Amino acid sequence: METILYIATVEKDGSLAKGALEALYAALELKSTLSGAKFVAGLIGTDVQAAANSIAGCGAEKMLGVSGSDYSQARYSSDAAAVTAFAQAAQATVVIAPGTSRLNRVLPGASHRLGGVADLHITSLSADGSDLTVVHWHYRQRMKAEYQRKNRPWLLAIDPGIYPVWSGAAGTASVEMVDVALPAVRTQVTGFHTPSADEQTIRPEADLLFVAGAGWTKKQADGQTHTADAERYILGFLKATQASLGSSKSLVDLGGEGQDVLGFLTHLNQIGQTGATPRHPKGLSTCCHGEEPHVVGWRFVNERRAINLNANCGWAHGKADVLYVADAFEVMKKVIELL
Amino acid sequence: MTTTDQQPEAARQEMQVDIICTGFGPATGGFLTTLSRAMTKEDGTPAFESKVMPGMLPQVICYERADDIGFGVSGVVTKAKSIRESFPDFDPAAIPMTHEVTEEKVVYLLDPVGASRRSWLVKVADNAIKLFKWILPYRHQAMELPWMPPFLQKHKGIITSIGQFNQWVGNQLMMSGAVQIWPGTPVAKPLIEDNKVTGVQLADQGTDKQGNPEAGYTPGMDIKAALTVVGDGPVGVVGRDLDLHFGLPEGNHIRDWAVGMKMVVDLPAGCELKPGTVIHTLGYPEPEIFGFMYVYPDGVASLGIFVPSWFDNPMRSTYRYMQHWIQHPYLWRHLEGGTLRSWGAKSLQESGRRGEPFLVGDGYARIGEGSGTTNVLTNSGVDEAWESGVQLADAVIELLEKDKPFTKENLDETYVKRRRASWLDSESRIAQHARDGFQKGFITGMFTTALVGMTKGKLFIPFKAKRPHDRIPTPEEYYKGRISAEEIDQIRKECRSKGLTLHDRLMEKAGWPEIKNDGQLLMSHQDILLMGGKVQATGNYADHVTFVDPRSCAQCQTLICTEICSGQAIAPNPEGLGVVFDREKCVYCGACIWSCSEANKDNPEYSNVSFRAGAGGLHSAEN
Amino acid sequence: MSTGFHIVVCAGIVPDPLQTLEPVSGPQGWALKNEMMLPACLDPWASHALFEAANLAKNVSDSKVWLVTLGPKAKVQQVMMTMAQKVPFELVALDGAANGFTDAAETAAALANAIEGIAGLDKSRLLLFGGWESASRGAGATLQIVGERLGITEQFQGVDQITIKDNGAMEILERVEGGSHQVSECSSAPAVLGWATGNLPEPPNNSQIGMQNMRLIMPALQKAPATKIGTADIAYKGIELPKQQRNTRIVKDVPVEEIAREIVDWLRG
Repeated sequence: METILYIATVEKDGSLAKGALEALYAALELKSTLSGAKFVAGLIGTDVQAAANSIAGCGAEKMLGVSGSDYSQARYSSDAAAVTAFAQAAQATVVIAPGTSRLNRVLPGASHRLGGVADLHITSLSADGSDLTVVHWHYRQRMKAEYQRKNRPWLLAIDPGIYPVWSGAAGTASVEMVDVALPAVRTQVTGFHTPSADEQTIRPEADLLFVAGAGWTKKQADGQTHTADAERYILGFLKATQASLGSSKSLVDLGGEGQDVLGFLTHLNQIGQTGATPRHPKGLSTCCHGEEPHVVGWRFVNERRAINLNANCGWAHGKADVLYVADAFEVMKKVIELL
Repeated sequence: MTTTDQQPEAARQEMQVDIICTGFGPATGGFLTTLSRAMTKEDGTPAFESKVMPGMLPQVICYERADDIGFGVSGVVTKAKSIRESFPDFDPAAIPMTHEVTEEKVVYLLDPVGASRRSWLVKVADNAIKLFKWILPYRHQAMELPWMPPFLQKHKGIITSIGQFNQWVGNQLMMSGAVQIWPGTPVAKPLIEDNKVTGVQLADQGTDKQGNPEAGYTPGMDIKAALTVVGDGPVGVVGRDLDLHFGLPEGNHIRDWAVGMKMVVDLPAGCELKPGTVIHTLGYPEPEIFGFMYVYPDGVASLGIFVPSWFDNPMRSTYRYMQHWIQHPYLWRHLEGGTLRSWGAKSLQESGRRGEPFLVGDGYARIGEGSGTTNVLTNSGVDEAWESGVQLADAVIELLEKDKPFTKENLDETYVKRRRASWLDSESRIAQHARDGFQKGFITGMFTTALVGMTKGKLFIPFKAKRPHDRIPTPEEYYKGRISAEEIDQIRKECRSKGLTLHDRLMEKAGWPEIKNDGQLLMSHQDILLMGGKVQATGNYADHVTFVDPRSCAQCQTLICTEICSGQAIAPNPEGLGVVFDREKCVYCGACIWSCSEANKDNPEYSNVSFRAGAGGLHSAEN
Repeated sequence: MSTGFHIVVCAGIVPDPLQTLEPVSGPQGWALKNEMMLPACLDPWASHALFEAANLAKNVSDSKVWLVTLGPKAKVQQVMMTMAQKVPFELVALDGAANGFTDAAETAAALANAIEGIAGLDKSRLLLFGGWESASRGAGATLQIVGERLGITEQFQGVDQITIKDNGAMEILERVEGGSHQVSECSSAPAVLGWATGNLPEPPNNSQIGMQNMRLIMPALQKAPATKIGTADIAYKGIELPKQQRNTRIVKDVPVEEIAREIVDWLRG
C-alpha cells in the first residue's frame, strides 16, 4: 500500500503556480486509482498557510509545511532538507512534485538521503491495482518508456503542461509544521536575470510556439540579408500573439558560421535535440527546414504548421499538419497586419 | 615559428613528430597495423626510439579529416588476401556487416521504363534477349549471366563495410598505444621545402567561410616529421597537392573517375537473399552505370551504383539514377518494404596504375588509392590499398632498423622495390588497359575489358583517355532529338532563378518517371543526407570547395558540378551567375573535382574546382 | 595554501545527434538497435561542462580537471580521439553499459566510487561538473546523487555561467522558468554544477593537447575496471518509438494573403 506525498513550493505571493496544481491533480488522480493509497500534502515557502488553504479541499490526510526565510529562495541545501523531512514525516512511499526548476534540482538528492529513487520529467502516472507505472521519454524525447520500480520511496517530478489544473474547494487547512535540520548553508540566492517584458520571448504557458529558423538571417531573393526586417516581424508577431519563441539552431552556432544573428535569440530559445522540448497546443515554424534533430523538440506540440520555400523540406514529410510553401517574410508581414 | 599574413598576433605553432600519416583508410590501416607491431620488441621494450622525443617510442600520428575514423564511404567486396596475411586469425564475424562471399552473380538489367539512352548495339542486345527469353536465364526484366569471368570473381573473399572495418582496425591500433589517430583534423596542405616534404600544415580554425580570421582564430599547426605517409585517397588534399607540385611520371594521368553512391538497407522481412551474396549489375539505368549489391548478415544489404567520368551526360545525377536503379524489378522485389539505414558517396580513381604518381620523394611516400593501387580489371581496391600500406611499413621498419633517413633514394630502395616485386604491381600491370575501351562507349568498353581480362593483359586496344572536361556535352547536345533547345533554355531559366538543378526536370521530360517518395527507401535528396548520411558540419573552417576562376562558372552552361553533387552542396546561384557552395551538405565525395566541365586555366589536367580538406561530412559508420 | 579547484567532470557518451535510434529488447535487457555501431559523442551538456571546467582551470591557477566517464571501452576510446584534442584533462574510465536504459542511481554509485578513488583529489576544493541531464536517459538525477554520495550539499542545476569573485566566492547562474536565470552566490567549494549549454564555444582541435592527453588516456582506458550497471530496480513494461507521422497538407501556389488569413484563422481558432 502506497503513501502518496504531494510536495509543492509556494510562490512569492503565497499562491501555488499552475504547474503545482497540475501535479496535485496528477497525485490525486493516482490516489483515486491506486488501491488503498493514502494521501499527504507538503508545502515549502516563506509562509505556506494561504497556499494550504487554497487546496484545503484536496482531501489530504495531513497537510505538512516548512516555512521561514530559509525557504523563500530556491536553494538546494535547504530545499533538499525540507523534501527529505517531509518524506520522513509522512512515511511516504511515493512523492509527487511539479517538475519545476526548484524541485527538479533537489528530488534526486533527497531520494538518495531517503534510500529511495527519483525520476524527473515524468509525463504520465497510472495504476493497475496496487502497481504504479510511469512514463518517461528517453533519448531527448525520442522514445517513450513505461516502467515500474521496486524501491521506495519513489520521488517523481511531473513535467508541466500535461495534467489539468486541480480546481477544488478552498478552505482553512490545518498545517502541521515540520522541523528541518539545516546543514551549514554556503549559498545565497542573490537575484534573477530576467528579460524585461518586452524582451521576454520564452513563455512556457503560451498557446503557440513560434519557431524562427536559420533562414530568417540568410540572404533573401534580392541577394541581401534582412535581419532588421526579420527581427521586426518576429517581435511584432510575438507581441501580437504572446507566443513563445523557439529557434532551430542556437545563436552561438549561427554566429560561429559567420551569419548575422537575431539579437534576442539565445541558447534558451533552442528547440530540439540539444535544446528544449516545450509543450504548447500549437506550433508555427518559419524558415526552418524541419530536420529530425530539431523536430524531436516538437514532440509535445500538438498542431503543427510550417512556412518554408522548399516544398520538399522535412515538414512536408509527415512532420507538420500543414506546410505553406511561401516566403515567410511576406506571409508574416501580412499575418501581423491581419492580427 | 611563423605567423600568418592576416593576423600576425596569432602565431602558427609548430610541432615535431616522427611520422605523419594523412587520411585513415585501408592503406593507412595496413601501414599502421604493420608498423605498430614492430615498434615494441617481444619483451615489451621499445624497438626504436623517437628522434624528436628521445627516450620515447617514435611519435606516429595520423590525421583524418572526417569526424570519426569509421566515417568511410564504401561497402566492398574484396579477396582480402593481404588483410588476411596481416590478421592470420581473421574472423569476418568479429566485424559487424562483414561476411564471406558465398554467391556471385552478374546481372544484365533491361530498361523497364523506356527512358534509358541506349545505343543501337545495346538495343540489338536487348531485343535479342527479349526474343530468346524463353531459353535464357531471363526474369524480372533482367538476365543473370550464366558465367562470371574469373578475373571478376572474389570467391573466398569477404564483403564488408569499410566504415566498420576502419573502426575495427583503428580501435586495435589505438589500444596498442604505439600510434595515434586524430579524426576531425583536416590537413590544409603538405609542407614542401626545396622539393622535400617536411610535414603538413593543419587547417586553420576559427575562420569565416572565406578563411578570414574570426573570434577564436587558431592557425593550423605546422606538424613537422621526417616522413609523411600520404594515404588520403584520390581526392585528398595532400596527394593532390603533391601531384600538382611534382607532376606525374611521364605518360601517367588521372582522367578516369567514377562516383560510387550507395545505401545500406534493412531488407524487408522474408527477403530471400542469403548473407554473402554479391550481385553486380549492368545495363540500367543507363548502360554506362554499373551497380552492386552485397548482402550482409542479419538482413542488411549494401547497394549502389557507379557513375563514371566517361558517361557523357551533363545531367548525371547519381542520386536520381540510384533511385531509378533500386526500383528495377530485379532488385525492387528484394528491396520493397525495406528501410534505409545509411547512405554515402565516394569518388574512385579509375585510372589505376596509369594514374600512379611518384610513389616516393624526399620525406614522403604514397600509399593506397591515391597512389594508383586500384586494380581496374578486377574492380578491387581495398586489399591492394592495404597491401601498399603493409609494404611501406616493412620498408620503414627496415630503414628504422638501419637508422637510415627517409630520402627518396632510401624509400625507392625499400618501398618502391618491394611494391614493384609484388603481386600488387604485376596484377596492376595486367589491368592497366582494361578500361580503355570505355572511352568509346559501353559496348567497346565491355569488349576491351574482356579482351584484357581473358588474355591477362597481353592484348588490348590503347584508346587515349580524354580529360573529363573535354568530353562533357551541353544539355542541348545530350538531349538532341528528345527535348528542344528552347525548352531546355526555358527550364534552365526557371530552375536557375530558384537555385535548383536541372536534372529532375530534364530527366522527367526525357521519359524518366517521377520518383514517388515512400520515406523508407525513396526520399528527397535532402532527407537522405540527414536520414542516411547524417551529414553535418561544424562551423569555424573556411569553405573547402571553391571555384578557381569565377568567370568560368559564370559562363558555364552545364553547371554539371551541381547536377552530380552527391549532397546538393553545390547549387546554381539563384542570385546571379555561377554556383554557390554549402559546406553543411558536403559529403566529400569529390565528384565536383572531376566532373567540372571547365578546364583549369593554369593546368588543363585539372578543373576549375578547388577541393581542399575540411571538417564534417558523413556521420555514419555503416558505409 | 593552494586555492585552485579540483574539477571533476562526469560525462557519458551518447549517439551522435543525427543517428536514427530504435529501442530493442534482448537477453541483456533493453538497448539501442546496433548500439555498438552507432557513432558516439560526448554527451552534449556534459561536453559544455568539460569546456567550462577547462576554462575555469585555465583562469584559476593551480586547478586541475578530471573527466570521469562510464561506457563501453571501445566506444569511449573512439570519443576520446576527438575530445582529447579539445582541452587538457585526465581521464578516469569505467568500462560498462552506457545506454539510456540503465538506472541513474546505479550509474551515480559507480561514478561516486570512481571519484573517491582518484589519487590526489582534494574534496575540499572539489567542483563536481556534468550535464544537467544526459541526452540518453535524460533522468536529470545522476549528478545530484553523485554529489550526495560525496557529501556535497551545495548544488546547482541548469548552470549557464560561473564567475569567481574577488573574495573567492562563486556566482552561479542557473536556468529557471520563463527564460530567466537565478543568480546565486556560493561561498566556497565543494559544489555540484549541472551545466546547461553555458556560453563557451567548442574549443578548436589541438594536436598538442591531444598528444599530451593521450599519454594518460590510453593507460586509463587499459585499466578501466569492468563495471556492471544494471536496471535491477526498474521493470520496463515497454519502450517504443512514437508513431507521429502526420498527413501533411501542402499549400502551394496560393497567394500570400490567403495563407496569412488561413494562419490567422488557425491561431484564433
